[in-house]
Amino acid sequence: MNLSFAGNFFPYQYETYKLPNGLTSYLIPVKGSGLVAYYSIVRTGSRDEWEPGHSGFAHFFEHMMFRGTKQFPGAVYDSLVTSMGADANAYTTDDYTCYYLVLPGSKLELAMTLESDRFQNLSYSEREFKTEAGAVYGEFRKGRVNPWSVLEENLYNLAFDVHTYKHTTIGFEEDIKRMPEMYDYSKNFFKRYYRPENVVLVIVGDFDPEATKTLIKKYYGNWQRGYIAPKITPEPPQKSERRKTVIYKGRTLPILAMAYKGPAFDPKDKMSAAVYLLGELAFGQNSDLYRRLVIKEQKVQFLGGDFSFHRDPNLLTVFSMIKDENDIDYVESLIEETIRKMQQNSADARQLEDLKKRLRYGFLMNLDTPSKIAGRLARIIAMSGRLEAVDELYSTIDQLTPDDIRAAAGKFLQKSHRTVIVLKGEK
Amino acid sequence: MKVKRYFLIFVVLFGILFTQCQQSERKNMVLLPVKDDPTVSFRLVFKVGSAFDPKGKEGLAALTATLLTNGGTKKHSYEEILRMLYPMAASVSSQVDKEMTVIYGRVHKDNLNAFYEILKEIVLTPGFREEDFTRIKSNYLNYIQNTLRYSSDEELGKAALYEFIFKDTPYGHLNQGHVSSLKKITIDDIKAFYQKYFTRANLVIGLGGGYDDSFADLVRRDFRQLPQGVPARLPEFEPPAFQGLNILIVEKPRANATAISFGYPIKLLRGQPDFYAMALANSWFGEHRNSSSHLYQVIREARGLNYGDYSYIEHFPNGGRRQFPPPNVARRHQIFEVWIRPVPKEAGLFAFRAALRELNLLVSNGLSEQQFNLTREFLSNYILHYAPTTMMKLGYALDDNFYGIDGHFLELFPQKIKALTKEQVNRTIKTYLQDRNIKVVFVTSNARKLKDMLINNKPSPIKYKTPKPQSVLEEDKAISAYPLTVDPEKVTIVPVEKLFE
Repeated sequence: MNLSFAGNFFPYQYETYKLPNGLTSYLIPVKGSGLVAYYSIVRTGSRDEWEPGHSGFAHFFEHMMFRGTKQFPGAVYDSLVTSMGADANAYTTDDYTCYYLVLPGSKLELAMTLESDRFQNLSYSEREFKTEAGAVYGEFRKGRVNPWSVLEENLYNLAFDVHTYKHTTIGFEEDIKRMPEMYDYSKNFFKRYYRPENVVLVIVGDFDPEATKTLIKKYYGNWQRGYIAPKITPEPPQKSERRKTVIYKGRTLPILAMAYKGPAFDPKDKMSAAVYLLGELAFGQNSDLYRRLVIKEQKVQFLGGDFSFHRDPNLLTVFSMIKDENDIDYVESLIEETIRKMQQNSADARQLEDLKKRLRYGFLMNLDTPSKIAGRLARIIAMSGRLEAVDELYSTIDQLTPDDIRAAAGKFLQKSHRTVIVLKGEK
Repeated sequence: MKVKRYFLIFVVLFGILFTQCQQSERKNMVLLPVKDDPTVSFRLVFKVGSAFDPKGKEGLAALTATLLTNGGTKKHSYEEILRMLYPMAASVSSQVDKEMTVIYGRVHKDNLNAFYEILKEIVLTPGFREEDFTRIKSNYLNYIQNTLRYSSDEELGKAALYEFIFKDTPYGHLNQGHVSSLKKITIDDIKAFYQKYFTRANLVIGLGGGYDDSFADLVRRDFRQLPQGVPARLPEFEPPAFQGLNILIVEKPRANATAISFGYPIKLLRGQPDFYAMALANSWFGEHRNSSSHLYQVIREARGLNYGDYSYIEHFPNGGRRQFPPPNVARRHQIFEVWIRPVPKEAGLFAFRAALRELNLLVSNGLSEQQFNLTREFLSNYILHYAPTTMMKLGYALDDNFYGIDGHFLELFPQKIKALTKEQVNRTIKTYLQDRNIKVVFVTSNARKLKDMLINNKPSPIKYKTPKPQSVLEEDKAISAYPLTVDPEKVTIVPVEKLFE
């Protein structure tokens, strides 16, 4: 196995196919499976909900995309997808919305017919729109009983003042309640964001690239440009620490979240990549603090760092679920102590190398089905617009030194940039 | 287009035919060699599970398996094991169900030897350290007292339903045990359970991927170090018989929604002749997390009452988190189960009536030609998604072993589905499905009001905040007045904090 990150890290060859209207397609043919993963990545998520009162709309709109067109009304669309035996679904995140079908390769043209049609000609009645709003509220209700959902909503709401990351992807409940009244807005949302220059197709599996390019041109070639970028206000630098205690209406062990303002995703930037590794080195299962708090002292049930990538500067969050409420301050002090050490000392060289290996093996071992390949690529493509960013990112990671980790900790893990939430259950 | 040789992972995986799958030492080893797979998958199945928990020590099987995989060995502490596995991006995990315990892990061939040494230690020479035991037991208690009771009403409802249906049988408790039983379990109980059941007599070794023959021989030899033991035998039992609607209302005072699960035992297991016809009927009625589900169309799509509505003829744990059924939760007793995701609390009884009415219509009318044909076509292809990787295929092969399937379920399934006729399916529906004797769990607030409505067969009209077609409103009239006969003696209210106590 080639252990170097240098060169092409992504192991499969691919073709990039661009239409004059701006639609980019990545074709990754891998023979033998009989299956094709067909991913349509819309580079719009809850981040793009910039107008007040519209939080959660990208996710709601994802639901509407299954309501059909004049040519293929919802029931017909469902019936055709069912007849293909496709695994078909969609999900929405802060930075993008992803629609996927995994289907027998022989059905690729039918899938493209359906997908290109709904992306260009979506059509639904106001009544259907309002009914779907009920399903979205149901999804909210389902998740709302989870303390982690409550924590997340409070954390982002407090940490951000103006940027759209202030709200979570599911949205604020008061906005979800008002969704049935937003039929006209939904038409506008579709016109604004569901445009070829804002969508990337990733097709992986058993297909012929040349024939597929012809199909893409045929089915997507007439799609008109028209993307209008959201007016997202950049978040100004945070000047002082923010804190809040949240009471969860149920029982839970207390959860401590300490979140620092991080950088935007940039696959060529060392600091951006170093931050990603920093969270794992300091708070992951191979960290000194994990061994101390989880395994030896057993004061916490869970410790972890979510220092993941986002399109705009987001949060670098350390989470801990603490067994005894009286230990919250103690755990917080140890997290602070760990951060101080990371800022003052170079990271442990062996731990860093172990982490690099882990990331590499983890990435590659999970490229074992067409769907997993496309799914793994989706976020990076959504953030950057380019599959090439995968190789760039892992090349940057390969070059990171223990000093880079220290520098990233010094730059981003500042107390004045942090937001702390303590969530407690009802007594 | 050239692909690096080492990462031709799924090319070879999808190409696997089960003709390669071998069973040696007659059912003690299931091999799934895939020459060019750059990874190796292990699934060590012990034919023992939570149904073997001693009375009063419920949760013992699950704790034992977790202590093996989340604890140290004689030679290495848990902390050292984590450190060794870390750069491999590998882990050793466990899954415990009623009659199966599986220890599993997957590793890149680069790291095979080092990983295998750890796996071997974990199973053959566990450390049984008190500090690991304390940590894990505390996690289990937190899971029941906080996570299960409070963080997902739908998972809570499903767990409660299984206990309700299998009450007073070896299947009648949560795999993770109850609060009181967990507290009684000692590390000596764990050691005794391990010694009794983690034996050659109960082990089936599953090995898949890019290993060579000599490695398979090595594994076979190494695991002979386990004592021979005697095969674990579960006494024959039947789920308790019951009549009519039996209802359990789990009261959560602050719940703003109602989660509903209902079902009853069915005498039908994977591989039996009627299984395939029933799988087709169930797929039409409630395919898991798929808009093809009829229940989904009625409750979510037409009425927008919730996020989804599904049905099952085989146990499907953690349905909210996965799209396809997991392997190695094979059971000798299955239930027909309906899962209605949380609906607004004022719509709880309406949603239950809607599902029950649909079940009645299915039993009475069966499937139409069109419904049958579409579902047959769907399932013949959909099975491709069930086991796309070596690890999953290996799991299914081990389940074939449990169910005594002659051949491979994943291959047989599309053949059997294609050969079905509508008449066969509709006959099977009448044999296995009914709408009279059902156990139901509601998770909701205001349990007394719900009980009153149930036992008095009060109508449950629904008001929508948004307009609906006349056809839906007409059907709603029939749903809201759908007759329920509920004996007050058969309605039990339990506060959530008493559940699983």
